[in-house]
Amino acid sequence: MRVNPNPLPDLISAIAQTQQQINTDLEQIASGQSINRPSDNPAGAALLVRNAGKTAETDQFLRSASGISGGMQNADSALSSVITILQRAISLGIEGANGTVNASDRAAVAAEVQGIQSELLSLANLSYQGNFVFAGTATQTAPYVLDSTTPSGVRYVGNSGVNAVTVGDHLAVKTNLPGSQLFSAAGADVFQAIQDLITNLQSGSNIDAAVNEVSNAYHHISAQRVFYGNAINQLSSQQTFLNSQTTQLAEQANTIGGADLSKVISDLVNAQTAREATLGAVSKTQQTNLFDYIK
Amino acid sequence: MSSLNTSLATALSGLMAEQGALEATTNNVANVNTPGYSRQVPVMVTRDPVVQDHLTFGTGVKLERLESVRDAILDSQIQQETQTQGHLGALVAALSETQTNFTSTTGDIGTAISKFFDSINQLSTNPADLSLRQNVLTAAGNVGAAFNLASTRLTAQRTNLDASAQQTVGQINQLTKQIAQLNQQISNLQNAGDNPGTFIDQRTQLIDQLSSLIDVSVIPTDNTVTLTTSSGTALVAGQQSFQLSTQLDSSGVQHIFSQGTDITSRIVSGQLGGVLETRDRQIPGIQSQLDTLAAGLANAVNQVQAGGFDRNGNAGTNLFNPPPASGAAASLSVALTDPSLVAASSDGIAGDNGNAEALYALRNQAIVNGETPTDYYSGIVFNVGNASANAKAEQSASDLVLQQLNDQRASVSGVSLDQEAANMMRYQQAYAASAQVISSINSMMQTVINMKNS
Repeated sequence: MRVNPNPLPDLISAIAQTQQQINTDLEQIASGQSINRPSDNPAGAALLVRNAGKTAETDQFLRSASGISGGMQNADSALSSVITILQRAISLGIEGANGTVNASDRAAVAAEVQGIQSELLSLANLSYQGNFVFAGTATQTAPYVLDSTTPSGVRYVGNSGVNAVTVGDHLAVKTNLPGSQLFSAAGADVFQAIQDLITNLQSGSNIDAAVNEVSNAYHHISAQRVFYGNAINQLSSQQTFLNSQTTQLAEQANTIGGADLSKVISDLVNAQTAREATLGAVSKTQQTNLFDYIK
Repeated sequence: MSSLNTSLATALSGLMAEQGALEATTNNVANVNTPGYSRQVPVMVTRDPVVQDHLTFGTGVKLERLESVRDAILDSQIQQETQTQGHLGALVAALSETQTNFTSTTGDIGTAISKFFDSINQLSTNPADLSLRQNVLTAAGNVGAAFNLASTRLTAQRTNLDASAQQTVGQINQLTKQIAQLNQQISNLQNAGDNPGTFIDQRTQLIDQLSSLIDVSVIPTDNTVTLTTSSGTALVAGQQSFQLSTQLDSSGVQHIFSQGTDITSRIVSGQLGGVLETRDRQIPGIQSQLDTLAAGLANAVNQVQAGGFDRNGNAGTNLFNPPPASGAAASLSVALTDPSLVAASSDGIAGDNGNAEALYALRNQAIVNGETPTDYYSGIVFNVGNASANAKAEQSASDLVLQQLNDQRASVSGVSLDQEAANMMRYQQAYAASAQVISSINSMMQTVINMKNS
C-alpha cells in the first residue's frame, strides 16, 4: 500500500486547528463570555438579546419606582404636616370654644388659626421637581389660589386627574392624589373648615360646630394619607422584587452566555499540549530518508 | 542466429532504458515540493523478439514513455469538494463580517430600542419635564442611528462583495484562457506521440483553482477537457475559452453574463457562488428584516403619538418620519426637534402621562410581524448567527473531506523520496549490470579478434 509521502500539510492543518481552539479559549477567558458573536451559539445569542431587553426594562422599572417613591414620600410628609397643624387648629378651636375666653382672646386665637390657614395653603401648593403635587395632572400651576369670593376663601384650579406609571409587568402604580379629593372633598373640605373656624371664633358662635368640621377634615386627610403609605410600601416591595429579578436575569445571562472558566482553562491547557505535541511531531517527521543511507 | 553485435545492442538498450528511468527519478526528486506535480514512472517494455532457426531471441528493453501517475476520479472529487469549499469560504468570510452588526454592544439596535422605551418610562414618571422629553427624542434618534448604521454597513458590504464578484470573474477568465491554451499544447504533444504529463499536471492544478472560484463540470474529450458550469454554461471547449462578462443592473449590482445570457442566479458554487449568495440572498434578507423592524416600530410609535397630546395641548404628530415602503432601516429618522411635541398626555393636560404609558406599552406589544420589537430583533440575531454557524460547520466538514481527498491524491501521485531512492538504486544497479554485460561482450569480441591474429 502506498501512503501519502508528505504528511506535512495535514500536520500543519492540525496545528492550525489547535491554534484556533487556543484563540477561542483565550477570547472566552478575556471576555468571560462563551458567546462573543451570534454564530458562537445562535439560539443563545437570541436569548441574550431578550435577556438584555428584560434586564434593561427591569433596571428602568427600578429607576422609575425609586423616583416615584421619592415624590410620594415628599407628598406624604407634607400630609403629615397638614395633619399636625389640623390637630393644632382643633385644640385652638377647643380653646376658643371655652366659655371663659373673652372676645379679645378669641380674636387672638382666630389670628393664630389664620396663620394655620396660610400654612395649609402653602402645603397644598407643594411642588416637587417642578410639579405641583396635589394638582391632579394640572401639575404646571399652583392648584389653590386665594379667592375671597368663595366661602372657603380659596379656589381649586387643579383637576381630578390621576397618573399611573408602569413599574412592572402589568403593574401600574397610581402616583398622586388630586387636591379635589384630598383638601376639597365634599363634607370634609379642609379650607372650608378652617375658614368656618376663623369666622366662628371671630363671631364667638357655633365654634363647636366649626371644630367638628375641622375634625372631620382631619380624619379625612388621615384616611387619604394611607394611600401614599400603601403606595410607598407597594413600591418598596416591588423594588425588592425587581432587584431579585435583576439578579435572576444576570444569573440566566451567565448560564446562557457566560464562559465556564474552569472548563475553558482546561480546554486551553489541552489545546496547548496538543499543539506542542503536533509541533514536536512536525520537527521529528522525515528528518531522514533513504537517500541518507546510500553511500 | 544471434551475433555478438546483437547482444551488444540488447545490452545497450538496457543501458539506455535505465538511464531514461533514472531521468524520471531525477525529475520526481526535483519536483518533490511542486504543488500539483504527479510523480512519473517509467514504462518499460521488452523489444520485439527475433526468431531465427526456431529460436526466439529477446532484443532488450525499450523505455516506452514516462507516465504521470494520477487518479482521474480522485481529481474530479477534489474539484467538486474545492467548489464546495470555495463557496463556503466566501460565505463564512462574508457572514462573519455581517454578524458584527449584531454583536451586542452599547450601540446595537436591540440596546437602542431598549433605551428608547426606558426613556419613555422615565418620562411617564414626570411627563411635563422638558429634559426627560428631550431624552426621549435623543433615544429615538439613537434608534434611528443604530438602524442607519447597520443598514449602511450591510450596503457597504454588498458593494464590496460586488467588487469581489467582478474580480473573481476576471480570475475565472484568466484561468479558462490558460486551460484552453494547455488543452492545445496537450493535444499537440499527444498527436506527436509525446508525453504531456507535466502539462496535464498544470491543467489539473488550474482546474482545481477554477473549481475554488466557480462550479465546474469537467468533461474529458479525446485529448482535451471541456469545462462547463454545473448548469451547462460553457467555460472551455477544447482550445477555446468562453469569457464571462459583468454588467450593472438597474439596482446597481453586477450581473454575470456568458455570451449574452445572464447566468448570475445559476452560479451556485465556488467562491463566486458564495459571494453571490451573500450579496443577493443573505444580506438582502437581513436588510428586509431590519426594514420590517424599523417600519413596525416607527409606525406603531407614530400611531400612538397621533392618539395623544403634546405638552402644549395639541394633538400629537409623527415622532419618526414615516418610513418608506422599502429601505425603512436606512432612512429611519426622528421627525420632532421640539421636546414639548412628544405626546405624553392623553387629554391635553401637560402633567398627564396617559399617552406616555400607551407609548411605553408598545415595548411588550406584538407590533412587528406579530412579535415584540425585542423578540423580533432577537430573531434577526438568531438568523444571522445561525447562517454563519452553519456555514462554518459545513466549512470544517468540507475541510476534512478535502484534506482526506488530498491525502489520497498524494498517496497516489505524491513523490516519495524513499521510493525514489530505492528506484535510483535499482536503476543504478541495472545500469551497472548492463555495462558489465557490454564489457563482457567486448572481451568476447577481443577473444574473437585475437583468435584471428594469432
